[in-house]
Amino acid sequence: MTQRSKYKNILGLNRRNQEYIRPFNPPSAKRIADNKILTKKVLAKENIKTPEVYKLIRNKQQLKFIDWDSLPKSFVIKPNQGTGGNGIIVFYGKKKGQYAWIRPNGDIMTRNDIILHIENILDGRFSMGNRKDIAIIEERVKTAPLLKQYSYKGVPDIRVICFNGVPIMAMTRIPTKRSNGTANLHSGAICTGIDIATGITTYSMQMDTNSPFSDTYEDINTTQDLKENKILSGIHIPEWDSILEIALKCQRVSKLGYIGVDIALDAEHGPIVFELNARPGLGIQVANKAGLRWRLEKVKDVEVKNIKHGIRLAKSLFGGEVEESIETISGRKVVTIDEKVMVFHQNKTKKKEPEKESGRAFMDTGVLTSRMSETFANRVGFLATTQYFNSLNVPRKFNSIKEAQEYIDTHLKALTLEENIKRVAKIVDGEDVKVRPVVDIKVKISGEIKDIEVVIIENSDYHLIIGREVLKGYLIDTSKTFSN
Amino acid sequence: MDYTPFTQWIIEHGVPEKTLELFLAISIVATIVSLFRYFFGTKSFGIYAPILLAIAYSYTGLKYGLAVTLVVILGSLLSHLVLRKIRMHYITRIAINYCLLSVALITFMVVINRVGFGLENMSTVPPLALISIVALSDFFTKQFVQKSSKSSFTALFGTVLIATAGWFVITRDYISNYVINNLWLIPLLIFANLIIGQFKGLRLKDYFRFKSVIKENDTKK
Repeated sequence: MTQRSKYKNILGLNRRNQEYIRPFNPPSAKRIADNKILTKKVLAKENIKTPEVYKLIRNKQQLKFIDWDSLPKSFVIKPNQGTGGNGIIVFYGKKKGQYAWIRPNGDIMTRNDIILHIENILDGRFSMGNRKDIAIIEERVKTAPLLKQYSYKGVPDIRVICFNGVPIMAMTRIPTKRSNGTANLHSGAICTGIDIATGITTYSMQMDTNSPFSDTYEDINTTQDLKENKILSGIHIPEWDSILEIALKCQRVSKLGYIGVDIALDAEHGPIVFELNARPGLGIQVANKAGLRWRLEKVKDVEVKNIKHGIRLAKSLFGGEVEESIETISGRKVVTIDEKVMVFHQNKTKKKEPEKESGRAFMDTGVLTSRMSETFANRVGFLATTQYFNSLNVPRKFNSIKEAQEYIDTHLKALTLEENIKRVAKIVDGEDVKVRPVVDIKVKISGEIKDIEVVIIENSDYHLIIGREVLKGYLIDTSKTFSN
Repeated sequence: MDYTPFTQWIIEHGVPEKTLELFLAISIVATIVSLFRYFFGTKSFGIYAPILLAIAYSYTGLKYGLAVTLVVILGSLLSHLVLRKIRMHYITRIAINYCLLSVALITFMVVINRVGFGLENMSTVPPLALISIVALSDFFTKQFVQKSSKSSFTALFGTVLIATAGWFVITRDYISNYVINNLWLIPLLIFANLIIGQFKGLRLKDYFRFKSVIKENDTKK
């Protein structure tokens, strides 16, 4: 493939403007996206949540009569028609007994400082074309705990690009110390690609501030400036399907054919729409290491029946690369919660016996040592082992761990006499404590052959239950549940 | 200089030669701006700033023009550093910035007069051209305050780059002589802009920006 044709999958600014924004985003729809107050009104019709507005300041006269005592301790000031996050100030708390509020970096702004900032907003300093503007004082979204741990103080948001009723690509923007708690990529926030099928994060980038050119990114794997930096790939974004559904609803109600929807996950209210973007940037391609152009062309002529159909299309067309991607980034394999595995036959003697047996395994981080059902153990060559253990007439249950340990201490020699029994383990099954044999098996999980230790248990819906000891090297994709 | 009858007719009917040259220069530099934007992805302070700067450079000469640009930018940065500690409205801030810039340029011209620095003819530079370069400060400071220092320097670099390219084109005698005698080139420039506006391919900058995406696709294969 020539270098030129490789670039054919990428969407550039020229094509974005000519083929997608101009024909599919009518001026009336752009006006909605460019006006935050109008956006809130339009989205409210579809019951889509947006941050609650505390105050709207339309002129300097209104500014004089603000009741500062009625404001909560934390809030956000935004210009109604601002662009690129300019003019947005977040306040985290209030100084006791003073009219002074605290910003994410610890800076204090007094009432007079805030008044000056609002006056600048009203004068149009942050608005498109420097037009006179309105200042919005609104609720500060409190990030859901899962995403909060990756973010430096601010609110991470999720950008979903939709076209023709189909979610095309998504990323999350995570505030950093460098970005002063904002999710603005140009200020140094991290952007992380999201697999559209699973809602699992893939690659991460940060703009290279040392580069003389703007829009130059550097690959990163972890958060940058937290006390304990965390791996950014493999995060399962909560309420993923709801996020996609909300993004498509936003597209429908705004009538923007090509749209970028910014959604935050509020700890109390769930997905909450920050803003609609009629000219979403192209950096999302870098975060996902995938081109937008071929995806857009793929859905251009598709007749999408409804939102659910759009989501299904996106998942089947553009999803599924996450496993490969995460493996590349983190060096860890991805397994589904309900995985087909191959167990190698123990002590294979007859030629007729199969070399390995296929079985269903459940990935269970709730148990430490993996488990294997007795019937399956018999099939893979442990018949003599289970027969021997059952012949010992070990009590079926013990009342406490201590009682089970005492039994093991007394009967250890007999319990481990059979050659395959490595040791015996105390396991908790419901309210009962049981003593069961432990054996070594060779198993193939997600293409990888491993020697693992398993406890043979009496019965189970699954042939194998893979515990934490083995799962250390894996990422579990919980999106594929038992039904599919 | 001999003109074609049509050009001669225009000059004789109320459009002085210099003014005609200026209008042609505007058309040419404007087309250069769109070329740079659509094919290279060069960011600038809009279209007006590079046109103004290119024409100003054609009056000052590139060396003097760039020197004044440098003083204007350094002066704007300095005044921003001083003024950012003081609480005041944006317009008054910009007004003070212009006052400080005037002081900086007067000082600069006095220093040049005393020391030289290879800019001995500074006093002969047309003042209106100087003022046109000073206007760059407004564009620069606005972006510096509203967006980021990086984006403002990127746009500044783009603006000066395009202005220099524009200066080069409009100061070539053979080009200006040819254009003034071939005024049909103006409709041609309009047509060229229509074509440039239809270009859907990647800009040169996009190739660098999305290099990692291509690299990743190669690895996957």
